Amino acid sequence: MRNNRSKPRPRSGKAKLWAGACILLLFAAVSLAAAQIAPYPKNDIDFEPWLVPSAVHLLGTDSYGQDVFSQLVYGTRTSFLVGILAGLITTIIGVTVGVTAGFYRRWVSDALMFLVDLLLIIPIMALMIILASFLPSMGLTSIILVIGLLSWLYMARSIRSQTLSERQRGYVEAARVAGMSDGSIMRREILPNLYPIILANLVSVTTQAVLAEAGLSFLGIGDPKSVSWGTILALAHANNAIMYDAWWWIVPPGLATALFCFGFILIGNGSLERFRYKRGASQQ
Amino acid sequence: MRIQPAYVARRVAFAAATLLAAIVMNFLLPRLIAGNPAEMIASQTALGSPEVAEAIKKQFGLENDSLLYQFKQYLVQLAHGNLGISYFNYPTPVSQVLLHALPWTLGIVLISTLLSYAAGWLVGIRGALKPGTWFDNAALAVSFFINSVPYFWIGILLILLFGYKLDWFPMGQAFSVEYDSLSAAGKLRSISYHAVLPIVSLAIASLASHILVLRNNLSRALTEDYMVLARAKGLSSRRRTFQYGVRNAFLPSFTGFMLSLGHVVGGAITMEIVFSYPGIGMLTYNAILNHDYPLIQGAFLMIAASIIAVNLLADLIYPFIDPRVNLD
Repeated sequence: MRNNRSKPRPRSGKAKLWAGACILLLFAAVSLAAAQIAPYPKNDIDFEPWLVPSAVHLLGTDSYGQDVFSQLVYGTRTSFLVGILAGLITTIIGVTVGVTAGFYRRWVSDALMFLVDLLLIIPIMALMIILASFLPSMGLTSIILVIGLLSWLYMARSIRSQTLSERQRGYVEAARVAGMSDGSIMRREILPNLYPIILANLVSVTTQAVLAEAGLSFLGIGDPKSVSWGTILALAHANNAIMYDAWWWIVPPGLATALFCFGFILIGNGSLERFRYKRGASQQ
Repeated sequence: MRIQPAYVARRVAFAAATLLAAIVMNFLLPRLIAGNPAEMIASQTALGSPEVAEAIKKQFGLENDSLLYQFKQYLVQLAHGNLGISYFNYPTPVSQVLLHALPWTLGIVLISTLLSYAAGWLVGIRGALKPGTWFDNAALAVSFFINSVPYFWIGILLILLFGYKLDWFPMGQAFSVEYDSLSAAGKLRSISYHAVLPIVSLAIASLASHILVLRNNLSRALTEDYMVLARAKGLSSRRRTFQYGVRNAFLPSFTGFMLSLGHVVGGAITMEIVFSYPGIGMLTYNAILNHDYPLIQGAFLMIAASIIAVNLLADLIYPFIDPRVNLD
């Protein structure tokens, strides 16, 4: 009889890490060498519109006569940058706020968390829209800032609750007795133990950032000059790609975001497995 | 069971504080970013007549430089339901434009949330009960995939497949062209028929997180000590699973359900554009295109207010589902 309840042997997570790293490296390479990889220049409108995919145009052409594959390659750069940078900004703020608010139980941090709880209810997308539409001009930098500065609420909350339980542990007490300052207890003692939860959050905020960029571009408040997976979809929709049955214009940008996010999920799950594998099953 | 007044008071106070935060943001953000609120809220060129622009400036206290005075005026106008006049729909007030659009958005958001919640529940339970099976693995893979693509992309794909290729459902709009000449039953049929694809798209798009949350909750509940005790007592596996496991897994997911509403509304904004569905999202999109600032601000406030209201409602229902929350 097979016993389903027995715990499976811990996996080392190496395979997942490698696969995820390969996917992300691929995207990084494409965004760095976009000009070399794309068969045609950016926004080149030299071709006949609505061509179906062929050897000359791997993903056909759009209504403007642009090569969809080339646009997709150039779009990778924007989406990659926004995802990585906005995700990093979010993570830095989320970890800082979460750890300090969890470590110092004073009224300031309680008030801060109360504010976070309030803001969590208001849809971030709506907040981003109002910010983005009132900004005098939207460049890549403002997109990254708007997304990065607004997405940390949920992360701060989850990191704070983990910090709250970590600070009760013996090792924090020991560090304090040993005369460590608050700052170094947070940085050198608590932070390493938060690694799995930070990572899980990092993966999700990066994914969210890519999707938020796509959403804002789709609404027409992204950077009008740059090409991203979101702007490609926005143009496809605005030009009735569905009526022309131009699936080659619609499907690839969505799959690109899926593959990109999949790479992050693999890295996230892989390093969680690695973390558990190295520390044994005691760490949950 | 009786609901505790203290609990109700706390939840109402929390909702009020959230609403106040939304109002303050709505008031401050344009002033912080754009500098000249008068030009945004009462632009002479946009409103077409200097008299109207002057009147609105006066109503909102914009000639006075004091921010506090402006905020007071803003609150007074808000209390009267005055959100300014839409540039594009001049001379219709913003509040009226919004109230026309709100039911459409609320309809598809609420129905699709309930649908995806129910579906996510079923899939999540089955996955947690039989972890590692092909069904569980497939459900997880699909969930991760859905979580990695834009909401509106799912909508576009469904239109391409079920609207264009198969022609089962209309490709957009909320009702047919001959809507006005239809009988009441015909109108209802037309609306439902047009709502199917938007609702299904939104439901699929928000399905993933429900599956993941419920599966995790139930997996955790199944390893609790009381499950071992129940097994030792010789309770049937059916009773253990549903009375002990599922019931306990359901409770925390209810809170997630409330939080996810904000996400769904965010998704609905882009989804409505895909379907040309005449709700708040479509309105916001057009307002952005037309630089209709009063309408953008009003739409934000309307979205925030409806979510806060639905959340409060869920909070007040919660004690009936889990009496313990009354106590803390």
